[in-house]
Amino acid sequence: MDFRFDIIVEYAPYFFQGLLATIGVSLVGIIFGLILGLFIGLGKMASHPIVRWPFVWYINFFRGTPLVVQILLVHFGVMPLLFAQPNAIVSLAVALSLNSAAYVAEIFRAGIQSIDKGQMEAARSLGMTHAQAMRYIILPQALKRMIPPFANEFIVLIKDSSLGMVIAAPEIMYWGKAAAGEYYRVWEPYLTVAFVYLVLTLSLSKLSHYLERKYSTS
Amino acid sequence: MIDVRQLKKSFGSLEVLKGINAHIREGEVVVVIGPSGSGKSTFLRCLNLLEDFDEGEIIIDGINLKAKDTNLNKVREEVGMVFQRFNLFPHMTVLNNITLAPMKVRKWPREKAEAKAMELLAKVGLQDKAHAYPDSLSGGQAQRVAIARALAMEPKIMLFDEPTSALDPEMVGEVLSVMKQLANEGMTMVVVTHEMGFAREVGDRVLFMDGGCIVEEGKPEDLFDRPQHERTKAFLSKVL
Ligand SMILES: Nc1ncnc2c1ncn2[C@@H]1O[C@H](COP(=O)(O)OP(=O)(O)OP(=O)(O)O)[C@@H](O)[C@H]1O
Ligand SMILES: [Mg+2]
Repeated sequence: MDFRFDIIVEYAPYFFQGLLATIGVSLVGIIFGLILGLFIGLGKMASHPIVRWPFVWYINFFRGTPLVVQILLVHFGVMPLLFAQPNAIVSLAVALSLNSAAYVAEIFRAGIQSIDKGQMEAARSLGMTHAQAMRYIILPQALKRMIPPFANEFIVLIKDSSLGMVIAAPEIMYWGKAAAGEYYRVWEPYLTVAFVYLVLTLSLSKLSHYLERKYSTS
Repeated sequence: MIDVRQLKKSFGSLEVLKGINAHIREGEVVVVIGPSGSGKSTFLRCLNLLEDFDEGEIIIDGINLKAKDTNLNKVREEVGMVFQRFNLFPHMTVLNNITLAPMKVRKWPREKAEAKAMELLAKVGLQDKAHAYPDSLSGGQAQRVAIARALAMEPKIMLFDEPTSALDPEMVGEVLSVMKQLANEGMTMVVVTHEMGFAREVGDRVLFMDGGCIVEEGKPEDLFDRPQHERTKAFLSKVL
């Protein structure tokens, strides 16, 4: 079998564009997923069941339905209500953010609830407000425990951004498929794409290990 | 200083406090004893509202805990608490454990908080541990740090919930001696403990709780040597 590197070279500018798009939607998904997920996780821990209810169902929906369906709903259902010309990259980023927020919320909740009750009580007994106790006592300890599950979730998110293909969002997978179609070749474009995802996910995994080590020694 | 009237508290259908009345004067050391499950911890935790109560009232230093305009955080600033399991903050050094609340709650500048912390560490005999992490301390050391941490807020009242029960026997003495010193300095203290020697020596008054009620109270020598109630006698015969 001959491996045609010239196809990769020729398509390199597109793969590069796709790489940037993949990194972009993943970063947006991670950042907004974290912000929205923190909020939803806190909502799910509310003491009143009626306050909890919408957050519980948000999480149920986004964890219990396929991401592909969510992407299609966002792109062809929600976005046209807001924009005349929905942009597939934007739709993908929104769907990934909403989806990862559900997982992040659960990680937050589990992390916070894993901290011994005595920590909150000690903080409150010293006159700290609930918010101060969260900020100085609970979150610093909980965040450390959340690093590995967050890394897992975001690795999944990077890989799942390839589903943007179904709405023709021009991320790296889209360009891989385009190259495959143009040259009638399988190995060169898809192995290139696979390699790119591998580099991204391994980097994230390294970063996670680094953070874990950094925060476990201090 | 502390006035408790008809305090009632239930967990679901289980009534844990069935109408507690107690009056604790400034500078008094009150020791609470009683069998497991009698409601001692719950009573203590109601005094700084770590546990909400259902009925009755608690007035601390003239402030009614249940009044609408009461700022609970302000009350807690004046009421220190020491827990059985220390509850030190494991991600902070001993020094930061002690300075955090004075800096964040009382808004002291760092220098003032650290000076106070070092003074308290000297008092509990642990200056050399200022930069250690809680993990590296023995149980007795951890509990002394926890006492210093509570004292750093300069509370008017200190609550102790079985402060020596989680300690190896050889470390009980070092914690009790810190508490004794504190009592001698005139701190108002409410202490739940099974250390009858401490109760007798340091306590001004002993409350015996059973089944969610204060069954009997009195000076240690009276209560220990001439208990009036059968339940008190039965309990004391087991622990003394
Ligand atoms: N958060 C809670 N939820 C439900 N029940 C509780 C809770 N806390 C305490 N109880 C129950 O209330 C009763 C009194 O508990 P409490 O901890 O006040 O007893 P105690 O006198 O301190 O006992 P011990 O000597 O074992 O510490 C017990 O039956 C206990 O099981
Ligand atoms: Mg108890």
